[in-house]
Amino acid sequence: MKNIVIGQYVPGEGFFYKLDPRTKIISIVFLMVSLFLLESITYLLIAFGLSILLLIAGKLSILRILKGLKPIFILLIFTFIFQIMFNKEGTLLVNQVMRFSVTSIIGIFVITVIWRFLAKYKRFNTILFFLYLAGLYFLLARFNYGAVLTTFPLMIYQKGLEMSVFVVIRLIIIITLSTVLTITTKPTDLTQGLEKLMRPLKIIGIKSEDFALIISISLRYIPTILDEANKIMLAQASRGSDFTEGKLKDKVKQVISLLVPMFIIAFKRSEDLADAMESRNFIPGKPRTRIFDLKFSYIDLFTTGFTLLCFATSIYLKVI
Amino acid sequence: MGIQFRKVSHEYSFGQKGFFQAINNITLSIEEKNEFICLVGHTGSGKSTLAQHMNALAFPTSGEVEIFGSIVSSKRNKKIHYNDLRKHVGLVFQFPEYQLFEETVEKDIMFGPMNFKVSLEDAKTEALKAIKQVGLNETYLKRNPFNLSGGEKKRVSIAGILAMNPDILVLDEPTSGLDPQGKRQLMDLFKQIQEDTLKTIVIITHDMDLVYEYANRVIVLNDGDLVYDGNEEDLFHKEELASWSLNVPSTIRVLQRLKTQFNLDINPFQKTVEQASLELKRGMNR
Repeated sequence: MKNIVIGQYVPGEGFFYKLDPRTKIISIVFLMVSLFLLESITYLLIAFGLSILLLIAGKLSILRILKGLKPIFILLIFTFIFQIMFNKEGTLLVNQVMRFSVTSIIGIFVITVIWRFLAKYKRFNTILFFLYLAGLYFLLARFNYGAVLTTFPLMIYQKGLEMSVFVVIRLIIIITLSTVLTITTKPTDLTQGLEKLMRPLKIIGIKSEDFALIISISLRYIPTILDEANKIMLAQASRGSDFTEGKLKDKVKQVISLLVPMFIIAFKRSEDLADAMESRNFIPGKPRTRIFDLKFSYIDLFTTGFTLLCFATSIYLKVI
Repeated sequence: MGIQFRKVSHEYSFGQKGFFQAINNITLSIEEKNEFICLVGHTGSGKSTLAQHMNALAFPTSGEVEIFGSIVSSKRNKKIHYNDLRKHVGLVFQFPEYQLFEETVEKDIMFGPMNFKVSLEDAKTEALKAIKQVGLNETYLKRNPFNLSGGEKKRVSIAGILAMNPDILVLDEPTSGLDPQGKRQLMDLFKQIQEDTLKTIVIITHDMDLVYEYANRVIVLNDGDLVYDGNEEDLFHKEELASWSLNVPSTIRVLQRLKTQFNLDINPFQKTVEQASLELKRGMNR
C-alpha cells in the first residue's frame, strides 16, 4: 500500500505538462462539448485522428492511455452490444437464428469454465474475452444438435453497427482527453486551477478557496491514512485477528477493530492540523499567496485558439 | 523452539522506483525462556521490521524465520495458521491508538484472548490479571479507553497482549513518549513479568540507560545489518558505538569524565546511580 498513486499523475515533460491547468480544464470541457455536437461518423473519425495527433504532439505514450481505458472496457463492450442489438434502422446486414439446445448450453458452460480458468493469464485477457464471445456465437448459431429449447433471432442492421462504432469511438475520445488531463496535471495544480476557475461563483456565495483547501487536504492525507490503516491491521493481527484468515462472523469484528481506531486517529489529526494551521496564522476566508503562481503563457494562448477552432468547426458542421 | 532467523532479508518496494532494504541477511536466535533482549539502533535501522518478522506480521523477502516450529518464508503457506503463531509471540505496537477500539478497557483486553477461542469467563479473569500486572487497578476495567492518559493507554495496550499469555513478548518502543518515572515503572514491570513468568521479553528502545540497566542481551542493528549480538557489558566497551549512532549510558559517561578529570581509580561501568555513587565513594576513599 506504500506505492499508491493519487489520481493518475505521471511525472514527465512535454507540451501538456507546461500548460496552465486552467487552460487544460477549459479546453477539455469545450472539446468534449464539440465532440457531442458532431453527428457523422466521418467527422468523429477525424476527431479521433486529431486526438491521436495530440498525444503524439504531447509525447504521451498511447499505451499508458490505453491502460486508462481498462476500467471502462466492460462499459465499452456493453454499449457496443446494446447498440448493435436494439438499433433496428437501415438495411439488414446479418440475420441469424440463435438456438438454445441442450448441447449448446453444455458447450457454453464448458467454454465459460475454460475462460475463467485461463483468466489468470492476465496479459491475454482481452484476446481471451473476444475468443469467448466468438465461441458463444459459434455455439448458438451453428452447434445445434439435440432438442432445441428456444430460439431468438440475431439481426444486425447497418445503422445499429454504425451507431455502436460511433458511440464507442466517442467514449474512447472522451476518456483519452480526460486521461491526458489527469496524467499531466498534479492534483494540487488541478485544485488550484479549479479554485481559480470557480472564483466567479463567489457572487452566489460559494467560496472556491475553501473548496480547494478541502480537496488538497484530503488528497494530502490519503497516503497517510492508508499507511495508518495498514499499521492498525498489523496491530490487530498481532492480537489474533488476521484479516486474511477467519470466518465471516469474525470479519465484522475485524472491520470494527480497524474502523474505530482509524476514525479516532483521523479526528485527532484534524484537530491537530487545525491548531497547526492557526498557529501559522491561517485565517479562513482571508486571501492567501502561493509559492507557485499559475502563469498564462503563449502556449496557453495557442491551445485556447486550437480549442476555439475545434468548437467553431463543430458548431458550423452542426448548423449546416 | 523459540524464534530462529536464518539469513532473513526484507525489502520494501516502491513501484518501479526501486526498493528499500530494511533488514539485510540477519541470522539470530531468540530463546523461548528467560531472556531480556533490547533491540537498539538508529531511526530507520530496521528494528520495527525485524520485530514484525518475529510474529509473522511481515514476511521475509528472502531467507526464513522459524517461529515455534513453523517456518515462515517469502511465500504464504496455506498449511500454517499464522494467527496461531501470534499466540506464541505477542507484539505490542508503539502507539496504543492503533489497537484500542472497544467501549471499555475490559472488552479491549479481552479481544485478544477471545480471538484465540478462550471462553468469556476465562477471558475476564485474564483481563483482571493483566490489568493488575501492568500496575493499574480493577476500576480501570470499566472505563473508556479513549478517556485515559497516554501512559495509561500504553499500559492498557500492553495488558491487551499480556492477556493472550504469549511465550515471547515483543514491545516496539514501549517507553517512548513517557516521562522518566513512567519509563522506569514500565521497565520495572517488564523485569517483574520476566522474573515471575520466565517469559522472553524483547524491547525496542533508544534509551541506553535503560538498556544498560535492564537488558541481559543486546541486539544492535545498523542500516539493516546485524552488527552486535551479545551482553550489555561488552557492548559499551566497543569503540564502534558512535558509528552505530548509539550513545553511552549517562552513568558511564559521568564516571568516565570524573575519572579523567580527577584522576580517580574507579571502574566507570556501573549500571545504576546507586552503584555509581558507591563506586565513586570507594574511589575517593582509596
